Amino acid sequence: MSVADKYIDYVKKEAIERPEKSWDKMVLGFQANKLKTKLLPKKAISKGYQKLEAMMMSLVADSLFKEGSYVWGNIFAPCEIMQSLGVRTLSIECLSCYLSGYHLEDYFIDYAQNIGIAPTLCSYHKTFLGASDSGVIPNPVYAVGTSLSCDGNLNTFRYLEKKRGVPFTLLDIPYRDDDTSVEYLARQLEELSYTLSQVFKKPFKLESLKEAIRIENETRRQLVKFFHLLQEHFYPGELISQLYLMMGTHLLMGTQEFLDLVRFMNEDILTYPAFEGKRILWVHLLPFYQESLRQYFNGSSQYQIFGSDIILDSWEDLDETQPFRSLAKKLIRNIYNGSYSHKADMLSDLADRLKPDAVIHFCHWGCKQASGGSILLKERMQEKHIPMLILDGDGIDKRNSHDGQIKTRLEAFLEMLEGENKAC
Amino acid sequence: MLGYICKYAPIEILESMGAVMKRIEPQVSNFNQADTLMHPNICSFAKGILEEVLAGGYEGVILTTCCDSIRRLYDVLKEQLPDRFIYMLDTPRITGDGGAALYEKRILEMAEAYKKFSGRTFCLSAFQNLLQERTAARAEDNASKEGRISIGIAGARASESLKSVLRERNVEVVFDLTCTGLERKLLYSRQNTVLEYSKGLLAQFPCMRMINTDRDKMLLAYADKADGVLYHTVQFCDNYSYEYAWLKEILRKPLLLLETDYTAQSYGQVLTRIEAFLESLKKTKKTAVWLPKGEKAMYVLGIDSGSTSTNAVIMDQNREIKAFSVVRTGAKSGESANRILAQVLEKANLKREDIGRIVSTGYGRVSIPFADENVTEISCHGRGAHYFNPAIRTILDIGGQDSKAIRLNGRGEVVDFVMNDKCAAGTGRFLEMIARTLEVDIDDLGPIALQSTEKIEITSMCSVFAESEVISLIANNKEKSDIADGVCHAIANKSYSLLKRVGLEKEFMMTGGVAKNPGVVRAVEEKLQASLYICPEPEIVGAAGAALYALDSLIGKL
Repeated sequence: MSVADKYIDYVKKEAIERPEKSWDKMVLGFQANKLKTKLLPKKAISKGYQKLEAMMMSLVADSLFKEGSYVWGNIFAPCEIMQSLGVRTLSIECLSCYLSGYHLEDYFIDYAQNIGIAPTLCSYHKTFLGASDSGVIPNPVYAVGTSLSCDGNLNTFRYLEKKRGVPFTLLDIPYRDDDTSVEYLARQLEELSYTLSQVFKKPFKLESLKEAIRIENETRRQLVKFFHLLQEHFYPGELISQLYLMMGTHLLMGTQEFLDLVRFMNEDILTYPAFEGKRILWVHLLPFYQESLRQYFNGSSQYQIFGSDIILDSWEDLDETQPFRSLAKKLIRNIYNGSYSHKADMLSDLADRLKPDAVIHFCHWGCKQASGGSILLKERMQEKHIPMLILDGDGIDKRNSHDGQIKTRLEAFLEMLEGENKAC
Repeated sequence: MLGYICKYAPIEILESMGAVMKRIEPQVSNFNQADTLMHPNICSFAKGILEEVLAGGYEGVILTTCCDSIRRLYDVLKEQLPDRFIYMLDTPRITGDGGAALYEKRILEMAEAYKKFSGRTFCLSAFQNLLQERTAARAEDNASKEGRISIGIAGARASESLKSVLRERNVEVVFDLTCTGLERKLLYSRQNTVLEYSKGLLAQFPCMRMINTDRDKMLLAYADKADGVLYHTVQFCDNYSYEYAWLKEILRKPLLLLETDYTAQSYGQVLTRIEAFLESLKKTKKTAVWLPKGEKAMYVLGIDSGSTSTNAVIMDQNREIKAFSVVRTGAKSGESANRILAQVLEKANLKREDIGRIVSTGYGRVSIPFADENVTEISCHGRGAHYFNPAIRTILDIGGQDSKAIRLNGRGEVVDFVMNDKCAAGTGRFLEMIARTLEVDIDDLGPIALQSTEKIEITSMCSVFAESEVISLIANNKEKSDIADGVCHAIANKSYSLLKRVGLEKEFMMTGGVAKNPGVVRAVEEKLQASLYICPEPEIVGAAGAALYALDSLIGKL
């Protein structure tokens, strides 16, 4: 057993037996991992993905290390507003993944279910509820959530407010896309900026928000370029690299450091050879731990995941002169908002731009908003003659994801794709 | 006819346009279409609506953006029924002025869309007249209902069958705060009629999707009026479980969690839980009258008709067990009951007319033709456990098709209970499946597990997955004893979760057929770090409890 594994076991035991005293040790572990990803990056993955991993480890390790420097959010919380106040956003979904690094997800999920939380709820939310309710995670100063993209957000943040005393703002993202909705949400966003300014005792500067939006627009353009380059170049990464990218586009969007990284990736990728395998467009979450999927996709020159709706969920330029209205539009037009046909339209658009060989839709346990429309999406992709596979599993709880079943389905699908190739 | 489901739906607007509105209350027997068109993990209510609407009879449906499952229901209905009026009304989560103004606009847009579909127009004065009539015609039924158990219902929408179960048991429902139980809050104003009406709708008792609500405080105030609160949730609707988890902490009244899936089949399971809850509230009247038959009539019989075994106990007036018997339940519980009656009478050397009173319990309790009364297995297990060992506070009962944890007070009365059913994981059926896979006799599974030398963890929670996990372990040449031990630990983990939900108060007792499996017993004891009391025949605890209930009414009558 390596030193790291021993430490993981030790922290896990501490979290279960002495929850209130385990947090510092946990954060210390994140710090150590941050150093490791900087000094000894994974050799099998490309330089860009190495730097990305180190950046996301830093975001979590450094924020958690400094009390009062961050809010809890969900993945769609408008991080640009928090950033313009110098406050980081740590999404509860991502924090749950980091906790699973200590193999604590089972324990926290059971903990949440034992207090009465529904077993059919999303496992990310259950992990986080268990971690907070058991006293392992300390409270932040504030939390910011959105009703996008699922019911869990309001309920989780409300529960944590009642039970643990974490004050929060929840933004109601309207369903319809029109000017009335934009105004309704823009007002909530503006109010949030004042609330946060008072909570963190920092003046809110509109100019900082505008600057973040300028950077964000450029980052998005660079990302689209990156996805196009991925069509041509073999750029070795892992399943988890896609999740790190998602963290970047949601928690660090509008920051110079993330823009610089995407620019670096666009230069770096040019030094890699041509990609001649199958290009997969991934829809929804990636179960980064799943053995069979890792085998097929991690560092694979045969199958490359390029692009996912969780990384790029809106691709319009934002108007920096009206920052609140722009952010409101971005949330309302998000791929996860509105009807499923809106989502299918956007994914069709993405497929037209990126021309994938196949689509894989992962139905994460408990995610009604994504799973409920998967069959509609398959029909839409069939119209475009793009083969689509629906996989059922769990993004974090291994007990809900049966590797044997996923392996059989995936292999049959890949065989089918290869067969098509031969037929051509 | 237009269907609707949500209390925020502006039905009066559509009615004033001439539409006939009907609240959809799905009562379906399967989800065949929904599972194909949506996904099996979508909330059962949404799946029920889909089945109901596809069956026909509606010109359209008004849905609101109330939750994720309903949003997806809209997408599927829209695709399946393109020529109907399938409308999604964007309903704000904020109840203040901003929300009301937005809602007013969305409601008027809906009226416009319906006009395009049906040709019917929205006329403000017609709407005003309708509102005026509705707001005037309100009267409340305040008749006195003394002596009855009073129950409040909260949580997710309660179906009509749930309420009729309560009515049939003479229970007074003092409040129903679910979407289906609330009276509509209609605000009428000559000026800004639609805006004021929108405000009224949004100001109804808030559902879980609304932001900034004090539902919990309001619920506590309501709960003062009731003896107990029945908290309803729908399978795969997770929103209300949060509130249940919180209420459990703050509510000082008995609280029953009841999950249904909106199918007709869930009725039986609902019944057991509700009856046990009412029994624990202790106002249930004993209606049956006992008439002595012959001199030796001071014997009673308790009969527990379970899914795997039928058990019977004959007890005398001194609470001594005269005889007991255990037989396998066949396809018809009534037949097994006749068989066991003959058998236990023979063992006790008694005749049918010597038995003064018979109480039945268990899943098949209502199918025992000769029983004078039936009591749920939860109350009977409580009584039985207290009879065998008065120190017992927590019972784990694992039967053939369900498992339950029951907490007792010092008098042996049920204080709290949870049940796990519909899922074979952690039940006797699961052990039978595994024994078959391992090719060992079910009775040998436990003793084999005790010989284990290597620790194997079965991680799958689902019994189907767990079975395939066991098959791969066999393929990997793992020892039978180690696999058996792993399975016993999997059951222990599941049981521990149940026990934890009722609180882990010592002393512990295990009952039911699985209590005879030493492997499971050892695994549960390890997990609990406490010993389990197991009586010599753990399958007759429920029947003994039933006999005690029979004795109660017998003595009460003398």
